Amino acid sequence: MKTESRRITIFALICILVSFLTVLSGCSRGEKSVLYIYNWSDYIDEALVEEFTEKTGIEVISDYFDSNESMYAKLKAGASGYDIVFPTSYMVEIMNKGSMLLELDHEKIPNIGYVDRKFLAMSPDSGMNYSVPYMISTTGIGVLGSRTGSPEKISWNIFSDPGYAGRMTMLNDVRETIGAALKYLGYSYNSIDTEELEKAGDLLISWKKNLAKFENDQYKNGLVSGEFYISQGYSGDILQVQEENEDISFIVPEEGTSISVDNMVILKDSKNTENAYSFINYLLEPEVAARNIEYVYYLAPNTEAYKLLSREILEDPAVFITDDVINSSEILLDQGENNVLYSRVWDRVKAATVD
Amino acid sequence: MKTGRYIFPRIMLVTTLLFIYMPLLILMINSFNGSRFSTVWGGFSLKWYVKLFHDRNIRRALVNTVIVAASSVAVSTVLGTLAGVVLVRYKSVLQKIHHIFITLPLIVPDILMGISLLLFFIAAGFRLSLGTIIIGHITFSISYVAATVQARFQDFDFSVVEAAQDLGADNFRVFYKIYIPLLSPGIISGAMLALTLSLDDFVITFFTAGPGSSTLPIQIYSMIRFGTPPVINALSTIFICITFMIVLIYQRSKRSLYR
Repeated sequence: MKTESRRITIFALICILVSFLTVLSGCSRGEKSVLYIYNWSDYIDEALVEEFTEKTGIEVISDYFDSNESMYAKLKAGASGYDIVFPTSYMVEIMNKGSMLLELDHEKIPNIGYVDRKFLAMSPDSGMNYSVPYMISTTGIGVLGSRTGSPEKISWNIFSDPGYAGRMTMLNDVRETIGAALKYLGYSYNSIDTEELEKAGDLLISWKKNLAKFENDQYKNGLVSGEFYISQGYSGDILQVQEENEDISFIVPEEGTSISVDNMVILKDSKNTENAYSFINYLLEPEVAARNIEYVYYLAPNTEAYKLLSREILEDPAVFITDDVINSSEILLDQGENNVLYSRVWDRVKAATVD
Repeated sequence: MKTGRYIFPRIMLVTTLLFIYMPLLILMINSFNGSRFSTVWGGFSLKWYVKLFHDRNIRRALVNTVIVAASSVAVSTVLGTLAGVVLVRYKSVLQKIHHIFITLPLIVPDILMGISLLLFFIAAGFRLSLGTIIIGHITFSISYVAATVQARFQDFDFSVVEAAQDLGADNFRVFYKIYIPLLSPGIISGAMLALTLSLDDFVITFFTAGPGSSTLPIQIYSMIRFGTPPVINALSTIFICITFMIVLIYQRSKRSLYR
């Protein structure tokens, strides 16, 4: 009996040992210099990251999120360990209000001077106290040239043209879509005036008559196959569509549009702060920023990098944002409690029947 | 009309099969589509596969997935089998409680498991990493293994155990020589179940993953919106092929086991 129980004990011990070893094998990591970043997928040129590692010996480990909200949920739930995160400006505000962000020491980011002041002026964090703009994109209109006579300029009011009825789409996004109507009426993208919002809602309902649908994703297929002629869309998406069908061009409406900025922030509980600073500084180097622009096809707001860009990019309205556009456009800001005003109008627009 | 009677069941069979396998088929065909958009056929192309194999992050996610699956299957198979045997062999109040604990993860929603594991890890001061994902996967896999092992006892002949004990075999020997061989189909199918569950688990992994420990499902999900969907198609195609292969091997080995 004694040997039997001893055998069982040994067997159990082995089992426990095996489980602990496998579990621990996942945890152990050498004392190498590392940096953990949490980014959108396909949003950085991996070759640049490898060069950074070669240069500094800092190993960069990246994970990806699909939306600001899921990133926020994950971090808020208590997941720690990330150093740099890339939230959109409205999420930067939310994260900062939750005091999740480290106040940036500009001394440690010498290249911060290259950041384009024009974009900072419209940013909620214009002093770059806790965020540095990483990439900028616009919302605009994708146009099928052969069906529309390749217009040079376009107005948001194109959606009122019955000639394109059933061949046009707008985004299924409260802020972007109501914003476009507000902008056409000469109001702000961030208006919280009930009267202005109601007028925008009326205008949207009159546009809705001509729209095939409010759509965020499938319209891209429609543009490529020629089913849709005119679609409101994000510059990055329209660029993907252009790769497949050269007939499509991206135009920013003359009234102006919304500009969206993704930022680099360092989290307060970051354990590799020094590495985070040097990575941000590296991405702000003009040559690096220029190469990154050429790769991801979004605009890094870096005045010195502009000089290094190819003509092709400088002339592409879907990538390069001209001063005219900057002057007439706005960043979508977090509305907090006033979001209700928007959803009320949006519900009315969505519920309106058109024939 | 002899075949007339079978028309309805046949239609049902075909439509059910189509319903289940058409989406997979479309995905697989699209992984060879030269165009990024699924509604347009851009010619046959292997470029997404080439892109897939050059993607450092996907490779890393693949390695993570394999590590997690292998270790969680290894541990949960051992623990689950022990639990399954004990639950059938010994009856007491404590075993009843044990039984509830073991079956609970089968019915607790994933999201609840994920969040509570995350809260637990944070409270216990664990650093989120591959290790925490593995623990998470073990917690739900044990239940599945234990359940399949218990199911094998349905036609289990306990007189074999008694005969062995009569002939002087100790408990360990009985376990090793009688239980394990007779239960092996159950153990293997439990392990296979644990393997497939671990490979495609998203919710629990999402909450328990730490920096640098993304597994394939997490990676795929984060790529859906801004990444290149055709690469995901290619990856999924490979994934499907591997899963089918595992099932095939399992079916083969099962047949030889029963023989």
